[in-house]
Amino acid sequence: MEKLKDALDFRDFSRAEQVGFTIFSIFLLLFPWLGAGSFVKAVMIQFLLFSLFGMGWNTVGGYGGQVELGKAQYVGIGAYTVALTMVWWKIPFWVSMPMGILLAVGYSFMIGYPLFRLKGHYFAIATIATSLVLQDIFANWKLVGAAKGIELPIHDHPDFLYMQFKSDTYYYYFIMVLFYVAIFYMNWFRRSKLGYQLRMIKDDEDAAESLGIDTRWCKIKAYSIASAFVAVGGGFMAVYNLYIDPVSVMDLDLSIKIALMAMLGGAGSLWGPTIGAAFLVPLDRFLGSWLGGHGGLIGLDFMIYAMLIMVVSAYQPRGIWGIIEQFRRKGS
Amino acid sequence: MALIDALLQGILMGLLFALVALGLNIIFGVMNIVNFAHGEFLMIGMYTTYWTSLLLDIDPLLTLPVAALVGVLLGIASYYSLIRYLLRGPAIAQLFGTFGLMLFLRYLAQFLFGIDYRIIQKGLLIGKSLSIGPFIFDWTKLAAGILSLFAFAFVYYFLNKTKTGKALQATSINKEAASYMGIKTDKMNAIAWAIGGGTVGIAGGLLANFYYIYPTIGILFVMIAFACVALGGFGSIKGVFFAGLLVGILEMVFPVFGSLVNSDFLGPHFKFTIVYLAYFIIVVFRPQGLFGWKN
Repeated sequence: MEKLKDALDFRDFSRAEQVGFTIFSIFLLLFPWLGAGSFVKAVMIQFLLFSLFGMGWNTVGGYGGQVELGKAQYVGIGAYTVALTMVWWKIPFWVSMPMGILLAVGYSFMIGYPLFRLKGHYFAIATIATSLVLQDIFANWKLVGAAKGIELPIHDHPDFLYMQFKSDTYYYYFIMVLFYVAIFYMNWFRRSKLGYQLRMIKDDEDAAESLGIDTRWCKIKAYSIASAFVAVGGGFMAVYNLYIDPVSVMDLDLSIKIALMAMLGGAGSLWGPTIGAAFLVPLDRFLGSWLGGHGGLIGLDFMIYAMLIMVVSAYQPRGIWGIIEQFRRKGS
Repeated sequence: MALIDALLQGILMGLLFALVALGLNIIFGVMNIVNFAHGEFLMIGMYTTYWTSLLLDIDPLLTLPVAALVGVLLGIASYYSLIRYLLRGPAIAQLFGTFGLMLFLRYLAQFLFGIDYRIIQKGLLIGKSLSIGPFIFDWTKLAAGILSLFAFAFVYYFLNKTKTGKALQATSINKEAASYMGIKTDKMNAIAWAIGGGTVGIAGGLLANFYYIYPTIGILFVMIAFACVALGGFGSIKGVFFAGLLVGILEMVFPVFGSLVNSDFLGPHFKFTIVYLAYFIIVVFRPQGLFGWKN
C-alpha cells in the first residue's frame, strides 16, 4: 500500500513537469477519438511500446549506468513464449505472458551472474555476444520455426483471452495501460532503495562497494527488472503483429534502438525514455514510409538516425532531457 | 584428414582475422575506446577493392594500396570529426558514438551500392587453386593469409622499432606519463586511428577476393575482431596475433565436428556462434585475455 502511494506520488517534480504529464495523459486517453488514421495509430502503439522498452532499459542502463546492448534477447524470449505456447498448446495470452516474464527473469539471472563480473566495454560487448548467440540458436532451431519464424493462428472472432482484436484501438489501450504501469513502477523505483544504490554505483562503484553495497547483486536485480519489462513488450509484439521471426524480435538493431531511445531522451530520468521514443519512433516510421515511396533512397533514414546518435553522443550525452535541464538552470 | 584440412584453412583465415583485429586493438590500447565501426571500415575496404578493380579494370590485388589509403583517410577523418569530441564525454557516449559511426557507414554503403551481394569475378588468383598432396588451397585465401602476415609483421616492426611506434606504445601504457615526456596524445590518437583504418582497409581488400561483399558484413567481422581482442588481451599486439589464429581455427574446425553429428545445433551455421560464445566465456573467466596486461 505504501509502495502504491509512492508510485502515484509525483509531488517532487516541478509544476511544469506535472502539468506536462497531465496534458500528455489526457492526450493519450483521448487519442483514439481524435480521428487519426490507422498508420498514425500504429505509430502511437509503436511509440508506447518503445517507451516501455526504454523504461526497462533505464533501470540498469540509465540509473545503473551499465551500457546494456542486448535487450532484444528478452524481447525475443517474451515474444517466443507467447507465440509458441499459443501455437502448440493454445495457452491464452494472459497465462503465457507471465510465463514469458518468468522465463526472461530466470534467464537474466542465469546470464547476469557471469555477465556482471564485467565492466565497461567488456560488459557492453558481452551483452551483444549473448544476444547474438540466442538469435543464432533461434534462427537455426527447427522446433521454433528457425529463420522462417512463427505465425500465430488468427481467430475468426475477437478474443480477449488470446488478445485478438479487429481494431487497433484495443491494442492501443492495452499498451497504454502497460505504459502507465511502467511509469508508476519507475516512479516508485527511482526512489526505492535499489534505485539509490544504482545511482551510487553509477557515480562511483568503489565508494558504493565500500559502503557495503553488493554492487554485483544490485546490477543483477536491475537487469532482471529490465528484462521483465522488455519481455512484456515482446509478448505484446507477438499478439499485435501475429508473426515473429528472429530478425523482428531478436535483432541487434532492436537492442540498439531500445538503448538509443532511452539515451537520446535522457538516461536516468523518469521521462527520458518516453521523450526519446516520442522523438525517434515517429522519425523512424514517417521517414521510412516517405522514403519507401521514393524508391532508391533505402538506408537514408538510418543515416539520419546515425547522424543523430553521433551528434548527441558528441555534444550532449545526457540527451534531450539534459538539454532541457540545462536551459532551466540558466533560466532560474 | 578433413580435420587437418580445416586446420590449415583455419590458419589462413586466422591470419586475416588477426590483421582485422590488430587495428581495433591498437585503437583500444592507445585510447581505451572500442571502435564499433571497425567492421564497417573493413566493409569499405572491400568495396574500395571491388570498385577500383572493376572500374580501372586492374587486378584486385593491385588495388590494395588504394584500400589501405582509403582506410587510413577514413580513420583520420573519423578521429578528427567525431572521436575527439566523444573523448570528453562518459564511456557510454563513446560506445554510442562509434556505434552511430558504424550505422552511418553501413547505411551509406547501402544507400550508394544497394543491398546486393557482390563478388569479384575477374582477377589473377580468382578461381585458381593450389593442390599440395591431398590438400587444396584457393590461391585467393593463400594470398590473403600470407599478405596479412606481412602486413601484421610490418606494423609490429613499426610499433617496436620506430620512434613513432614506441611513442604509441608509451601512450598506451600510460597516457599521462607519455604526455609529460613530450608525446602529444592527440597526435598519437590520430596515428592509432590511421593505422587501425589502414590495416583493416588492407584486410578488406584481401577479403574481397574471396568473400561476398555487402553492406551489413561489418557486424560479423567486428564481433570476430572483438573475440580476437578479448582472447589475446586488450592492448596486446602479440596476443591478438595468436588469438586471430585460434579463432580462425575454431571457426573452421568446429563445422567438421558438427558434420559428424546430425543436429540442429552443430551445423556450419554455428561457426560464428561458437566465436561469440568463446568471447563471452573468455572475458568472464579471464578478462585480461591470454597475453593481456590491461584490465
